[in-house]
Amino acid sequence: MIRLGTSGRSRQLALVERSPLRHADPRTKLALSMCASLAVMLSLEKLVAFMGLYVLLLFWARLLPEAARQVWRLKWVLLVLFVVDWIFVSLDLAVIIVLRLSLLAGAFALFFATTTPAELRLALEWMRVPYRYAFSLSVAFQSVGLLDDEWRAIREAQQARGAWTRPEGWRKLLESLGDLIALAVPAIVMTTKRAWAMTEAAYARGFDSPHRRPYAQLSMGRLDWNLLAATLAVAVALLLWR
Amino acid sequence: MNGILRAEQLAYRYPQNEYGLQPISLAAEPGEALLIAGPSGCGKSTLARCLTGLIPHLYHGTLRGSVWVGGLRTEAAPLWQLSERAGLVFQNPSAQMLAESVENEVIFGLENLGLTRQTIKQRLEEALAHFGLQGLRQRSPQTLSGGEQQKLALAAITARRPPVLILDEPLSMLDGTAAADLVEHLAKLTASGTTVVTCEHREEFLCDVPGLRTIRLEGRTQPETSPPPSPFRAGSPGGSLEVKGLSVSLGGRPILHDLHLSVEGGEVVAVVGRNGVGKTTLLRALAGLQQHGGTINIDGRDPDLGLVFQNADLQLFNASVRDEILYKVAAPDPELYGWLLQALGLAAYEEVPPLLLSEGEKKRVALATVLMRRPRDGLLLDEPSLGQDAAHKSLLIRLARSLAGAGQRVILTTHDLPLAVQADRLLLLGPEGFVADGPPAQVLEAHAAWADLGLRVPHWLEVPERVVEERGGL
Repeated sequence: MIRLGTSGRSRQLALVERSPLRHADPRTKLALSMCASLAVMLSLEKLVAFMGLYVLLLFWARLLPEAARQVWRLKWVLLVLFVVDWIFVSLDLAVIIVLRLSLLAGAFALFFATTTPAELRLALEWMRVPYRYAFSLSVAFQSVGLLDDEWRAIREAQQARGAWTRPEGWRKLLESLGDLIALAVPAIVMTTKRAWAMTEAAYARGFDSPHRRPYAQLSMGRLDWNLLAATLAVAVALLLWR
Repeated sequence: MNGILRAEQLAYRYPQNEYGLQPISLAAEPGEALLIAGPSGCGKSTLARCLTGLIPHLYHGTLRGSVWVGGLRTEAAPLWQLSERAGLVFQNPSAQMLAESVENEVIFGLENLGLTRQTIKQRLEEALAHFGLQGLRQRSPQTLSGGEQQKLALAAITARRPPVLILDEPLSMLDGTAAADLVEHLAKLTASGTTVVTCEHREEFLCDVPGLRTIRLEGRTQPETSPPPSPFRAGSPGGSLEVKGLSVSLGGRPILHDLHLSVEGGEVVAVVGRNGVGKTTLLRALAGLQQHGGTINIDGRDPDLGLVFQNADLQLFNASVRDEILYKVAAPDPELYGWLLQALGLAAYEEVPPLLLSEGEKKRVALATVLMRRPRDGLLLDEPSLGQDAAHKSLLIRLARSLAGAGQRVILTTHDLPLAVQADRLLLLGPEGFVADGPPAQVLEAHAAWADLGLRVPHWLEVPERVVEERGGL
C-alpha cells in the first residue's frame, strides 16, 4: 500500500499552513497568480520592478522557500537558455527570458502551496468549469504526491528481484536506461489502475448526480479585498509607467 | 423472485480476457446478510460491480441476465440513482479515497444526494462518531492505516444510507481486531434493515453475523497435476539471521525501535501485529531496502533474502509469464522453472501477459520471479495471502516448508491468523517490539500480550496439527 507523509501531499506540493494566504479565498489567490503570470509580457525594467514586488509578497506570505524550490527545479533549463541566448542573441534577452520563466515557475507556487484540492474545485466551478472537469483536476492535483511514492516503491520492488540496479557512474547510467521499462510499465499500470479505481469510487457515490449541492461555500473577506485592491494598484502603476 | 436485490441468470465476460462471472441467480430481502464465497478468480468482484450497476455502465464486456436494485433495473437506470440504492465498498480502501481530508471524503457522497448543508453536517457527525473517526477528521485519508481507511470507506458509503450495502473483500487488509469490529458493525447494519452482501475469502470471520446466507461461486477449473519433486534439496541450515538493535524512523516518526530477533535456517516464522505497527518496514530492512540503525547479518555478512511485495503490480512488466520469471536470471535452472510453474499453478499461463492475470495469480508470478533468483538465505513474504483462496494459501505454506526443508528461512508478515498459525514460530509485534515469540499454540495462549496490543484471537481459530507432519517437502 502506498502512503504519503503526514501532510498527505508530496514535499513539492506541501500545504503551507502558516501562510496568511492560507485563509484567503481561492479566487483571490488564483487572480494573483494569473496577474503574476501575465506580467511576463512586461518590458525588462517593469518586469524587474514587478518581480521585486512579487518577492516581497511571497516573503510576507511566507512562501519564498516554496517559490524558490519551484524555480530551483528548473535550474538546468534556465542555465542552458541563459547561455544560449547570451551567446547567440544578447545579454538583455538572456536575462529577460530567465526572469520570465522564473516568474512563471514561481507564480503558481502562491496558489498551489496555500490551496486544498477542494478549494481548487470550488474556484474552478465558480469560473463555470463543468463539475466533472473541476473534480478531475482537483483529484489529479491531490494525487501528484502519490506518484513520487509509487515511483520509489516500484524502484525498491524491482531492486528486490534484481531487475533494476541503482546507477553509479555514467557507464552504469547508460546500462540502466534499458532497465527503465522495468520501472515505467508498473508506473503506468499503477497510475492507470488508480485512476480507474477512483473513477469507480466516484460513480459508486453518485458522482453523476444532477442533484449535487456543494457543502462548502466560497466567501471573500477583508484580506481578499485588500489583496485585490493592491493588485489593481500595481497593475495601474505598471500601465501608467513610461 | 422478489426482494430489494435480485439477479436473474446473471453472467458477464470481460472484453480483454476470459475472466468474468458464470451464470448466477440470487435475491435478498431487507436486513438479510449474504456471503458470496468462492476461490480466486471466480468472479466475486465482478458480481459486486454487476449488483451496483458499474457493470455494464462503466465496463463494456458481454452481460447476460438482469439485476434489479430497489426496483430499478441496473442496465436502464443511471448510476447516480443506483448508487442511492446500493453502496459499494471496494477491495482496496486506499484506491477509493477521493478527497484530501477524512471529513471531505464523507461529505463527497452526501453532496451528491442533494442534501441541505444542515443534513450533510448532521450525517457527517454521525458517521464520524459511529466509526470513531472524529479525531482524524482533518487528516489526509492516504496517511491513515489500512484499518482506518476501511472504516472511512465504510463511513463514506453508509452515511448515504443505501438500503443495500455491498462489500468486496472488506477484511483482506484488516488485522484481527479491525476485522472483528467490522463484522460487528455489519451485524448492526443488518439488524437495522440494511441488506449486506459481502464478497470475501476469509469466510470464517463472518460466521458471527446472524442469519448469514452463503452463496458459493464456482471457480475456473484447472487440470489437477501433481508437481514434480521439489528442486530445493534438503540441506543443512546455515548460520542464524541475527537482528540486533534494529531501529527505523520514517518521516521523523519512529517505526521500529531497538528490535532484536534471531531466525535459524529451516524456520518458517510468521509476524503478526496491528495495521501500521511496522511489519512491512521490518521486511524492507531485512531485504536491505530500508535505512536503519542496528545490525542485520548472517555469520557476519549481509543476508541475501528475496522479498515478495504485497502489491504484485510493483514488480510485473514483461510480455509473458515466462519472460517475467526468467528476466535477468543468469543461467536459469530449467528444473526450478518448470517446478515453479507447476507448484504455483502457473503452467497454463506461461505465454500470457502477467498483467492480464487475476490479483492472486499475479502474486504467485511475483513469488516465482523472486524464487527463480534462488536467494541464498531465504524468503520474505509481505501479506502473501492477500487475494489468495484457501487452496493457494495452503500451497504457500507448503512452499515455505519446502524452502525451510532446504535449510532456508521464510519470514512472512500477515493479518491472516489462520495462515500465521501454520508457521513454526509466531511473533507478535507491538509498538515497543516483539511481545510474544514461540510456537503458535503457545503464543495464542499469551492472552495478556494480545489484549495489550488491542488484538483478538478469534474463538474459532485452531492450530493445525499438520504443522509438524508436513515439514520437509511440497
